[in-house]
Amino acid sequence: MAVRKTSAFAPDVDTLARAAGLDKALKQFPEDVALAAQSAASARSAAGELDQVAAEPWPPMQVRK
Amino acid sequence: MNDLHWLTAAELAGAYAARKVSPVELVQSLLERIDALEPQLNAFIKLDRDAVLAQAKEAEREIRAGGQRGPLHGVPVGIKDIIDVAGQATTCHSKIYLQNIARADAEVVSRLRAAGAIPFGKLSLHEFAIGGPSFDLPFPPARNPWNRDHHPGGSSSGSGTALAAGFLPLALGTDTGGSIRNPAGNCGVVGLKPTYGLVSRRGVFPLAFTLDHIGPMARTVRDTALALDVLAGHDAADPGSAAIPHGNFGADLERGVRGLRVGFVRHFHEQDVPAHPEVTAALEEAARQFTREGALVRDLQLPPLQELAGVSRIFMLAESWTVHAPWLRDRPGDYAETSRRKLMGGAFLGAGDYVHAQQRRLQLSDAVNAALRDVDVLLCANSLDPACRLDDDAELARTYPRQARSPFNLTGHPALALMCGLSTGGLPISAQIVGRMHDEVTVLRAGAAYERATDWHTRRPPLENTSKAKRKPAAVS
Repeated sequence: MAVRKTSAFAPDVDTLARAAGLDKALKQFPEDVALAAQSAASARSAAGELDQVAAEPWPPMQVRK
Repeated sequence: MNDLHWLTAAELAGAYAARKVSPVELVQSLLERIDALEPQLNAFIKLDRDAVLAQAKEAEREIRAGGQRGPLHGVPVGIKDIIDVAGQATTCHSKIYLQNIARADAEVVSRLRAAGAIPFGKLSLHEFAIGGPSFDLPFPPARNPWNRDHHPGGSSSGSGTALAAGFLPLALGTDTGGSIRNPAGNCGVVGLKPTYGLVSRRGVFPLAFTLDHIGPMARTVRDTALALDVLAGHDAADPGSAAIPHGNFGADLERGVRGLRVGFVRHFHEQDVPAHPEVTAALEEAARQFTREGALVRDLQLPPLQELAGVSRIFMLAESWTVHAPWLRDRPGDYAETSRRKLMGGAFLGAGDYVHAQQRRLQLSDAVNAALRDVDVLLCANSLDPACRLDDDAELARTYPRQARSPFNLTGHPALALMCGLSTGGLPISAQIVGRMHDEVTVLRAGAAYERATDWHTRRPPLENTSKAKRKPAAVS
C-alpha cells in the first residue's frame, strides 16, 4: 500500500523562502531561489513511495550508553 | 632515475630504501613539474614550497639514519582544502572561509603525519564540496589534464587533477555524493569511498553528516590500499566512526578474481539512466575482462538508480541546509551561483520529507545488502558521460546528475572508481566496484586484478609536450 501522497496544494515559493529566512536571497537572487525550490521538489518526487506505513526510519532510536 | 613524478607511493618506499631516490629529490622534481604545469591546471589553492621542502629534508635525514616512521615516510600527499591542516587556512574554496585557520590537524592528517607522509599543499575543490566549477570564486576551478577545457570532476577536483598531472602520488578526497569517484573517473585515476565510518571525519568541514566520507585517491589500486591502511581506524571523537578492527587492506591484491562472483548492475546505465554509448561499451568490456580473468559475472538487479539517487539528494539538501542556512540568510552573495542554487534546496523540504527519506534509506540499504549476499562485489557505472566542457553550464547541469555514485553514499557501501576506457574525444571513462560493508579487501582485490589485466592505469594525459614550452613559476607561494 502506497502511503505517501503528493499534495495538490503547491505552496508559494516566496512564502517558503521567507519562512526559511531567505529574504535577502529572494531579493538579490530570485532565480536561484526558484531553482533551489525546484530541485527540492524534484528530489522529493524521485524519493519513491513506501510500501509499509509503519516502516522504521533509519537509524532507529537507541539510547546512549 | 627519470620521471620521478610518475612513481607510485609503493615504488617510492622501495626507491627510498634502496637509496635510488631521496625525498628531497622527489619533492624538488614535483615542484619543478608543478611550476611548469600548474598555471594551466589550477590544482592547488595553496602550496608552501619551503614547508614541503623542509619536511622532505627531515624525512631524508630520518630515512638515512635508518628510522622508518611508517609506510608513507617521505611520500607527498595532497590535501583537499576542506580538510584541516594545523596553522593553515581551510578555505573550502569559498569567500566565506578565506580566513578560517585550522587550529589542529584533521584526524586523517594526523594519521598521515604519523605514517611519515608529507602533507603537500591544499587542493582546490568545488565550493564547500557541493558547487560546480565556478569562475566567481577567489580561486579558479581546477582543469582536466586530459583536456584542459573539460571538467576534471568534483568536488575533489584538485585531487584528481594533481594525480593525473603527475604532481603527487597520493591525495585525500571527500565524497558526499560521489566527490572522490567523479574526479577519479574524469581524470583517469583511482578513488575509493570507504565504508561509512571507516575513516574519521573529524577536522573535515561537513557537507551532509550522514553521507560524508573521506578517502584516498591515487594512480594505482595498490597505492589506494596503502593509503587506506594509514587512514582507517576508530576515532572516538567522530560519532559516526566504526569501532571495527581491520587488517591489511592490500592483503588480497595478488589473489586474482578466479571464482569471484561479480554482479553487473547493467540496468543502472542501460534502463534507468541510459549512458553515453562509449560508456556503455567500456562497461561491457570491463565485464568481459572480469570473465576472462575467471570471475563469475552475472547481471544483478538493485532498486532503480533514480530512486537511490533521489533519496540521497533529500539527505544532501536537508543536511547541507542545516550547515549553511545562517550564511545563506546573511550573505548569499558570497557564494558562487551554482553553490547557492544547490545549498538553498533544503529550505524547501519539510521534516516529513526527511523522515520519509530515512524510511526509504533503510529499505534501499537492505535491498543492496541482500543483493550482496549473492555476489562478492558489484560492477557498475561511475559517470554516465565523458567529462563535458568546463564552461558549458547547460551540459554541466545535464550531465552532473547522470551518475551511479550517490546510491553508495546513501547506503554506506565501499565503492572504488577506476579507469576502464578512453572516449574518442580522449577523455577517461570509469567504472565502480562496490563491496559489502567493511569488505574493502575484496573491492581492492577485484580492482587490482582488473588493473593487472588492462593498461588503463598506465595511460597518461597529453601534457608532456606543453610542459617545457610554458614553463613559468606557478601562482602558488
